[in-house]
Amino acid sequence: MSDSLIQVRGLTRDYRLTKKREGVTGGLVDLVRPRREILRAVNDVSFEIPTGEMVGYIGANGAGKSTTLKMLTGILTPTSGEVTVGGLVPWEQRLQYTRHIGAVFGQRTQLWWDLAVVESFRLLQKIYEVEESVYKRQMETFHELLDIGDFLHQPVRKLSLGQRMRCDLAAALLHGPRVLFLDEPTIGLDVVAKENVREFLREIRDRDKVTIILTTHDLADIEQLCKRVIIIDKGQVHFDGDLEDLRVRVGQKVRLTVDLRESVASEVLAETTTGLPVRWETAEGNRHHAEFNRSEVAGGEVIKSLVNGVHVKDLHMAEQPIEEVVRDIYRQQKEPSA
Amino acid sequence: MSELAAQLLTPWHRSASASVGLYFYFIRLAFLKFLAYRVRYYTGVVSYTIFVTGHYYVYSALFASAVAESATGQLGGLSLPEMITYVAISWIGRSFYFNAIARDLARMVQEGEIAVMLIKPFHVQTVMMFEAIGESAFRLLMFTLPIMVVIVPLFHIQSAPDPMIYLWTFVSFCLALVIYSQLNFMLGCLAFAMKNIQGVLRAKMVSMDFLTGVVVPFTFFPEWFQVVMSYLPFQYISYVPVTIYLGKRQGAELQEALLVQLAWAVGLFLLGRLVWRVSVRNVIVQGG
Ligand SMILES: Nc1ncnc2c1ncn2[C@@H]1O[C@H](COP(=O)(O)OP(=O)(O)OP(=O)(O)O)[C@@H](O)[C@H]1O
Ligand SMILES: [Mg+2]
Repeated sequence: MSDSLIQVRGLTRDYRLTKKREGVTGGLVDLVRPRREILRAVNDVSFEIPTGEMVGYIGANGAGKSTTLKMLTGILTPTSGEVTVGGLVPWEQRLQYTRHIGAVFGQRTQLWWDLAVVESFRLLQKIYEVEESVYKRQMETFHELLDIGDFLHQPVRKLSLGQRMRCDLAAALLHGPRVLFLDEPTIGLDVVAKENVREFLREIRDRDKVTIILTTHDLADIEQLCKRVIIIDKGQVHFDGDLEDLRVRVGQKVRLTVDLRESVASEVLAETTTGLPVRWETAEGNRHHAEFNRSEVAGGEVIKSLVNGVHVKDLHMAEQPIEEVVRDIYRQQKEPSA
Repeated sequence: MSELAAQLLTPWHRSASASVGLYFYFIRLAFLKFLAYRVRYYTGVVSYTIFVTGHYYVYSALFASAVAESATGQLGGLSLPEMITYVAISWIGRSFYFNAIARDLARMVQEGEIAVMLIKPFHVQTVMMFEAIGESAFRLLMFTLPIMVVIVPLFHIQSAPDPMIYLWTFVSFCLALVIYSQLNFMLGCLAFAMKNIQGVLRAKMVSMDFLTGVVVPFTFFPEWFQVVMSYLPFQYISYVPVTIYLGKRQGAELQEALLVQLAWAVGLFLLGRLVWRVSVRNVIVQGG
């Protein structure tokens, strides 16, 4: 047996669904003979995470990320499989276990809605028996890194999403948990707020050696925070390894958007990058799109030859969105020859 | 096992004094929360007064027509002034012990908010009970007292037969609060198993005041009904405390009533814990 902090083996979770038939007669038929279906939201998931690692758990909508996290936090009992965190089984030793973990579910707050933020913190202090000196020190850190001082005395329901999220993060960490589960902690945040949150997570990862599992739809979160990623699709793990390995495996597709000063024929434009592995797509007026792979050609090189050939007004490079990366991984699995 | 893994295994128990501190804190928070919504209760004073007024006229008419035929001047073992007092004290008591735990819990389960309760190291049941106590403390001050100020002089409510009875009535209503909150809690737990418990909640709304004896005193019902009810906890929510106030239970009978009530309170709390354990095992948290 290994000594990883988090151990997940064969984790599986089914949801039972009743499928509704259409119309009035359908509704009546449903009453007599409901159509039941079983959805396997998480399917035989296994992984291990050693102490102090920060892992990105990613996948498309409905992939089973939240379901996995609910089981890891002890909220949901799995259909089958095993989980131990520090030797505890989350859903069996809930009271013991929850003392040692923190969790943020980006979609909902764990602060008391009607109370001023600081009242929630005081309550958490009581719940986790945080000593006054530790409480003071923690609050100072939160002020410093998350800048929550300004709205500490406002009721939670009056906070903006970004303010609330920062408070929620602080609330999840007040008691100094050893493990942190974050389900979309940057959802709905603006660029600045996202940056604050990332900075904060980096800090607690490096300083306190907190083990963190994070789900997100923002690849930048992963790039900036996690060395390791686990990709899940339709409930199954499709990749588990270093982010760098992932890049090598799928390549680093980049989508380039170019706005030109004057209208230029597509062929002329394509000519500027002859010899480079760049694929041009059909244009929309003076706007052109191209795709290339960073593992084959550097972005700078593409742009250099482009700027030398035509009058570029503006250009924009975008990473392949996370969903597409996942889809590519999935495709590769289906076609083992690729 | 690595060092940190071992560290996680550290047994952790909240000391008794810390538990008391924590759960009392929930009383305080609930009190503060309801204080923020106090305006809502001013209209409550009016509607409770209307309920009692309605009962007042119904029973007055009933007595006027029925009592002529009986020699005792009583109906269901109560005289008219007792009857009016019964109704008034029932509603005054209800204004104190009432809460909406079942609805709140069902909502938390249905909207997935229960998730954030489940990742906290406390007993959700105990927390909800202490919140209910906090709510009742608020109700006592902001709702029950104003209602008493209006109703007691308005309907010439009888005073209790001896001053200690006030205390025992209050104790009895406090136990009623525990019983009521636990029944409500278990009802709310149904939301874990059923998709929609609106129907159940509505059925509870209409039957509860009847079963507890708020609407009609049990003495109006046939013998067999009273026997059945004596094996159930409902009468300990209203009928028993009100009859204590009326002086219908004194001495040993009073002691027995309070002890049985206490037993129900403890028993239902333990049952509630069991129901919670079973419910949480098949919890499906929505959303996320
Ligand atoms: N309470 C539920 N009842 C029935 N099916 C559910 C329930 N919760 C989730 N599912 C289904 O399980 C699958 C996985 O859902 P889950 O919430 O884990 O996805 P996710 O990876 O978190 O997606 P997202 O990125 O959209 O948050 C989905 O197909 C979803 O429809
Ligand atoms: Mg999710």
